[in-house]
Amino acid sequence: MNKKIIWIIDDDAIYQTIINKLIQKSGVFSTHSSFMNGKEAITTLNNTLENNDEFIPDIILLDINMPVMDGWEFMEEIKRIKSKINKRIIIYIVSSSIALEDRNKSKTFTDIIGYIPKPISVADLLSIVSEK
Amino acid sequence: MNTEKNWTSFINWFAIRPRTTGFLLFIVLSIGIISVSFLRNHILKEEERNEMNIILAETHQNMEQSLKNCYTTTVSLALTLNNDGIPQNFDAVSDQLIKLNPIVSVVQLVPNGVIKYIYPMKGNESALNLNVLDSKYLRQDAEKSVESQKIYFAGPLNLKQGGTAIVGRLPIYNNKKFWGFSAVIIKLETLLKASGIHSIDQSKYYFQFSKRNPINAKEQFFLPFKSDLSESYYVSHPISDSDWKLYLIAKKPFTIYTPVLFGGILGFIIAILFGLLTTKLLKKPEELKIMLKEQETKLLKNELKFKTIFEQATIGFAIIEAHTGNLLQANNKFYDMLGFTHEEIKEKGINSLTHPDDLDNTLLHIKKLNEGLITEYFSEKRCLTKSGKIIWINLTISPLWETNEKPTSYIAFIKDITERKKAEALVEKSQARFKSLIDTIDGIVWEYDLETMTSTFISKKIENLLGYSVEDFLEIPGFWEDHIHPEDREFAIALSAKENKNYTNHDYEYRMITKNGKVIWIRDIMNYVFENGKPVISRGIMIDITIMKEAEKDLNNSLQLVTEQNKRLLNFSYIVSHNLRSHTSNIESIIYLIESADTEDERNEMMHLLKSVSNSLDDTMKHLNEVVNINTNINLVTKPLILSKYISKAKDILTEQILLNDVSFITNIPDDAMINYNSAYLESIIYNLISNAIRYKHPQRKLIITINLYKENDKDVVEITDNGMGIDLAKNGDKIFGMYKTFSNNPDARGIGLFITKNQIDAMGGTITVDSKPNVGSTFKIYIK
Repeated sequence: MNKKIIWIIDDDAIYQTIINKLIQKSGVFSTHSSFMNGKEAITTLNNTLENNDEFIPDIILLDINMPVMDGWEFMEEIKRIKSKINKRIIIYIVSSSIALEDRNKSKTFTDIIGYIPKPISVADLLSIVSEK
Repeated sequence: MNTEKNWTSFINWFAIRPRTTGFLLFIVLSIGIISVSFLRNHILKEEERNEMNIILAETHQNMEQSLKNCYTTTVSLALTLNNDGIPQNFDAVSDQLIKLNPIVSVVQLVPNGVIKYIYPMKGNESALNLNVLDSKYLRQDAEKSVESQKIYFAGPLNLKQGGTAIVGRLPIYNNKKFWGFSAVIIKLETLLKASGIHSIDQSKYYFQFSKRNPINAKEQFFLPFKSDLSESYYVSHPISDSDWKLYLIAKKPFTIYTPVLFGGILGFIIAILFGLLTTKLLKKPEELKIMLKEQETKLLKNELKFKTIFEQATIGFAIIEAHTGNLLQANNKFYDMLGFTHEEIKEKGINSLTHPDDLDNTLLHIKKLNEGLITEYFSEKRCLTKSGKIIWINLTISPLWETNEKPTSYIAFIKDITERKKAEALVEKSQARFKSLIDTIDGIVWEYDLETMTSTFISKKIENLLGYSVEDFLEIPGFWEDHIHPEDREFAIALSAKENKNYTNHDYEYRMITKNGKVIWIRDIMNYVFENGKPVISRGIMIDITIMKEAEKDLNNSLQLVTEQNKRLLNFSYIVSHNLRSHTSNIESIIYLIESADTEDERNEMMHLLKSVSNSLDDTMKHLNEVVNINTNINLVTKPLILSKYISKAKDILTEQILLNDVSFITNIPDDAMINYNSAYLESIIYNLISNAIRYKHPQRKLIITINLYKENDKDVVEITDNGMGIDLAKNGDKIFGMYKTFSNNPDARGIGLFITKNQIDAMGGTITVDSKPNVGSTFKIYIK
């Protein structure tokens, strides 16, 4: 099984550190990238699409509440550039919010595969990867 | 007097016999007319006779003249005789004589009765030597001449020589001794011609010529006309020296003259007409009499009918003398109703029948009736019967005199209405009960007539609830409308019975102004009453729901408050769960990583991480505490504060940043401007907004902060404007006042300032709004309650 490219988009620095550790522990990802907000991620994605298709992520773990560009805005951007992406990107919402409205809103985006409330575990990461 | 009476009875005699009178008149007139006609006819006849006499006399005279001439002729002829009795120059003289008297056709000398001399002889030869005295027939005539010794005309005779002629013989005496005759023969025809017989009007008259037969004394007629004169009308005249008679006979034997006839007939007709007319005229009174009789019969029948009605009626009638009040007549029902007899009433007087309490009113009206002020009087009053019972009657009094006449008597109709009165009293009683029931209802009961568009009932409760009187409401038009609260008037009238055409039972609420000027809430529950599918009446009840309304208002206010609180709490719980969970989830993960750490370094790293999570959690807890404090602080002290002082205070705290960022302030606030606010909150709000403006200043330009104070809708507004980087409100408008909402990667952004500011303003009962454009700047407006 090929190792996957995973992107983490979250403004919580501590979380970023933690997820980093967890990714390493899971050992199923070839590379992972961290972004502090949606804007950074979408800019990188656009650059990647232009330059090197190899680095297009397989999996994105997306937070909702972020400055500059939040998770929902990011999803809107994905919709716009989706046609340019010749790869299926699995997007999960990973949020500390357990509010039902956030969970319901996530269902309105067909590109969002699932909603994982924090904390995320190694087992979660493994099951994400194994899902096709 | 007596004559007059006789005359009258005489006239009457005719008057009552129209046929006889007519006939008599006809007879009298006819007789008159016939008499006059006869008279006229007679006169006319007389005239005719005169005319005939004249004609006859003329002819007669002519004839006599002719005969006289003949006499002269005979005399002249006789003179031819000489003393010896021998004619001298007979022929010559004869010829001369005939020429002189042409009617003479032949002259003869007849000595001793024998015709010896004839001139002209020719044609008369047969007569020669005829002895006239021998012939019996001729002898008589001849003897007559001898007897009379005058000329005598004999004949007419049928001549031997032919024709009819007369012979005039003059006896001649010679020496007093009869010699013979001198004779002339005259043709009858010639004589008649000479007399002018033919010159008369032959269409009217004719002549006849007769002679008395000397033998049988019978009259013999000689002219070829009708000889029987018994039926003819004629005049006659004897001719002298003969036995002749000359007749003038009218051709029409008996004439009723046409004008007379016409006049007679006309008169007759007129008589008939007069007779008929008189009959007709005289019959007229008779006919009228018959008609009168018929009318009389009818009247009698009617009278009988009315009498029956009068007697049998279920209504009591009484005829009462106007001034005295005496009972003149009444029907049985009248007596039955009151129980008194006619005599008893007459004795007691009519007024004693009326209940004493009602008497004055009745008498007053009768007086008015007598004076002509009223033409009829109706009333319902009480009467006392013989048995002492009180009965109610319906009384109608109508005068029996014409207007402008003196009062004579009036007719009173009475009807026993005791039962009805009883029923009415019952109804009244139950009505009163219902009314009192209605008045006890804790609401104003009303009724509105949809057809007349008027209020017909309002219960007394209106006085308690609104303070107005029942009379005001019912009598002043538009009273209800005028006392509705002005704000509710339009819709209330639209829904009311007056305007609403849905005709469905409904209820609605509106405010009314009471007499004291208080506003009360009314619930009007209305129903419609239908008759034949048509709404006729609307009824309803107005209930005072002011207390309920106030309670409802309080409840609504509370509900709003609670809802708001709830919303805030929910928001808060969301914030709490979200923010706390982000820390706890991190802690959870870190603990997992610590447990599964392979190396001490790794564990230490995680412990370090845990420490920073702990710090973050502490910060969050502090912020939350702050927010909770704001929201739970009910007894906030507000007092008038000098705004400019608080701006200065904020500037003092931020001096370092202001100097560092070279911030300019434009403050348009009077030094003494006061606002009512909580001191700590005002300080915090102004500090947060100014520090926010500095934090998000535009990197390329000098920051200018403008602070204004003004009134908007009577509310103080503090406005803080900057020319900073601005916020895209289209994207972030809903989040700007949220907790931990940051819009930049500015490391100073904590996402708590505006959240706390908003909470503080909310707690003060005000609001905050933001207007912002990216790269232009933001304006925050704080509305102070």
